[in-house]
Amino acid sequence: MTVLTGPAADTGATLDVRDLTVEFNSGGYLVRPLERLGFNAGDGELVVLLGPSGCGKTTLLSCLAGLLTPTSGHIDFGGVDVTGLRGSDLGAYRRSTVGVVFQAFNLIPSLSARGNVVVPLRLAGVGRTEARQRAEALLERVGLEGRAHHRPGQLSGGQQQRVAIARALVHDPPLVVADEPTAHLDYIQVEGILRLVRQLATAGRMVVVATHDDRVTNIADRVVELTPHFADADRAPVEVRLAEGDMLFEQGDRGDLVYQVTEGQMEIFRVLADGGHETLTEVGPGQYFGELGPLLNLPRSASARARRPSVLVGYTVREFRKLFPHGLVAADELNAG
Amino acid sequence: MLAVTLADLLYRARQFLIAILGTGLVFGLALLLSGLANGFTVEINQTVAGFGADTFVMAGSSAGRITAFVAFPQSEVLAVRHDPGVSDAAPLLLVPSLVAQTTKGTSTVVLAGVREGALGAPSPISGHALAGPGQAVVDDRLHVALNSVIAFGHHAFTVVGLVSDRSLLGGVPVVYVPLADAQALAVGGRPIVTAVLATGRPTTVPPGLRPYTTEEVQASSVQQLSGPIKSIKNTQWLMWVVAAVIVAALLYVAALERRRDFAVLKALGSSSAALFGSLLLEAVIVALVASAFAEVASNLLTPIMSQPVDIPGLAYATLPLIAVVVGALASLVALRRATGADPAAAFS
Repeated sequence: MTVLTGPAADTGATLDVRDLTVEFNSGGYLVRPLERLGFNAGDGELVVLLGPSGCGKTTLLSCLAGLLTPTSGHIDFGGVDVTGLRGSDLGAYRRSTVGVVFQAFNLIPSLSARGNVVVPLRLAGVGRTEARQRAEALLERVGLEGRAHHRPGQLSGGQQQRVAIARALVHDPPLVVADEPTAHLDYIQVEGILRLVRQLATAGRMVVVATHDDRVTNIADRVVELTPHFADADRAPVEVRLAEGDMLFEQGDRGDLVYQVTEGQMEIFRVLADGGHETLTEVGPGQYFGELGPLLNLPRSASARARRPSVLVGYTVREFRKLFPHGLVAADELNAG
Repeated sequence: MLAVTLADLLYRARQFLIAILGTGLVFGLALLLSGLANGFTVEINQTVAGFGADTFVMAGSSAGRITAFVAFPQSEVLAVRHDPGVSDAAPLLLVPSLVAQTTKGTSTVVLAGVREGALGAPSPISGHALAGPGQAVVDDRLHVALNSVIAFGHHAFTVVGLVSDRSLLGGVPVVYVPLADAQALAVGGRPIVTAVLATGRPTTVPPGLRPYTTEEVQASSVQQLSGPIKSIKNTQWLMWVVAAVIVAALLYVAALERRRDFAVLKALGSSSAALFGSLLLEAVIVALVASAFAEVASNLLTPIMSQPVDIPGLAYATLPLIAVVVGALASLVALRRATGADPAAAFS
């Protein structure tokens, strides 16, 4: 994980994430999108969580917003142990401390733009008149004063995103989390939204944006890369010797090497959510495995264990591409063999 | 959440309107059924009360049922009339089912033979009372005009008067004719009757006979129909169940469509209870509006029923309460959808 630090953080609420791990059952398999993640950020910062699909950005945002309880680890925001909140305290945190901008806007289709912005205030117990006034002020701030009575179906993608941002801000939260705020938008709309997002990060408010678009890092105060880049790693192939039963890597690990079996036999298996395991395949001399994780910057989707004493060669993605210049098709033909 | 609930109702107006129409029709049918069941009782009460008697002296084996054809000699009328507890008495021959020919075709009628101008003779709402042989006063359910002819085989009668709400056995109209004419056409002219109508209460009655108050005759006659009435009431309960199923189906579909909305609202801080309350409110509103529609629809549908329908006022008053219960029960089907919504799903 790479963290780029930006300008010195101001006083006010700070964010501290320590040893955060999230595991869950996905279709019967155990998935671990976050493992011992740690970073911190200061008040007023625009923090960008960068990574491809499946790397855990949305999972992390869910934890920051108090919508998902991690398997282990801690999140501390402004002195509040978010991961320790339960029941009414958790509800209060969601209503008053954090504002959420969802991917695909997630506006309530039956409510007008103003109605959508009013919802967080009404849930927080703010009176109808005051809630309406604050909603209208925010819609004006995001440039939608003339669209307050339009339903989401009558708004463009950019306008819907502005309504979503207004909804996230209406109760003046000190933490705003935004999931892929520029998705589904054309480049003109993207510019407007990014300008707005940049303006949001001021003293008294931290903004955390999850995105796979690395252009957004140009406006960030702090960038948290959730996946290392293996594609550029460059080192000589490394030989690995395993005794029978030795684990080469485990499901969920981050690895940068693609392995080819020289001698012996490797079992590739998946760990199930109930603790059992399911053998996917066995690979022998001349065959390779473990290529997709390093190629796609994803965690290992399965575990690898030596069936017999084995010798393997580990290649970086660059070296692996040299072996198969015509891509994975050639490699698959080798494995089929 | 009230604003969210009302906005959702408006947003899905067409969907809810269809459910309201369906549920309203079912509620309306249930009201009709309660009217049918009540109609049996009202019909009997009105027709029996219409004879104007305090006491009906009838054969003991009749159990006091007005339509029980258990006859006894007409001469027993004198004994009842001379009883010190009675101020007036008159004979009644009630034949529960005869086939009549009218200008409208063939109809089944109840034949009531009474003494002209005496206790038990009907007071028409149009035309005039029975004044002599060959005349008939009929219930307007028969849909015949004054001065038309009603015939029982070769016995023909001129309709001289019309009455209303005089029927028995679920809408079978009563035809009143002079006693002698009734005896001639129904029992071969024999001087027999099925009841002695009396004003007052006789101190003694001839052997084999029993005095029944009007209320006893009404209750016993209604009891005769207890089977059909119970069946109708059971069907009425089924109608409430069908109504609940319709509303539940609507709520379930709405809950499925609003899954993401629930997740978003929870992410914004709404409680599961508030979300369920929103669905509960929608269900109750749909059921209440349907009940209002039903009260109108039932009145529109009543004329198409050939049997007497008398929807009790209590049914109208309790229908909204039943609607609330139906809506509340129906909303339970969506309970899991509302309370089980995962706020983290708002991110997906």
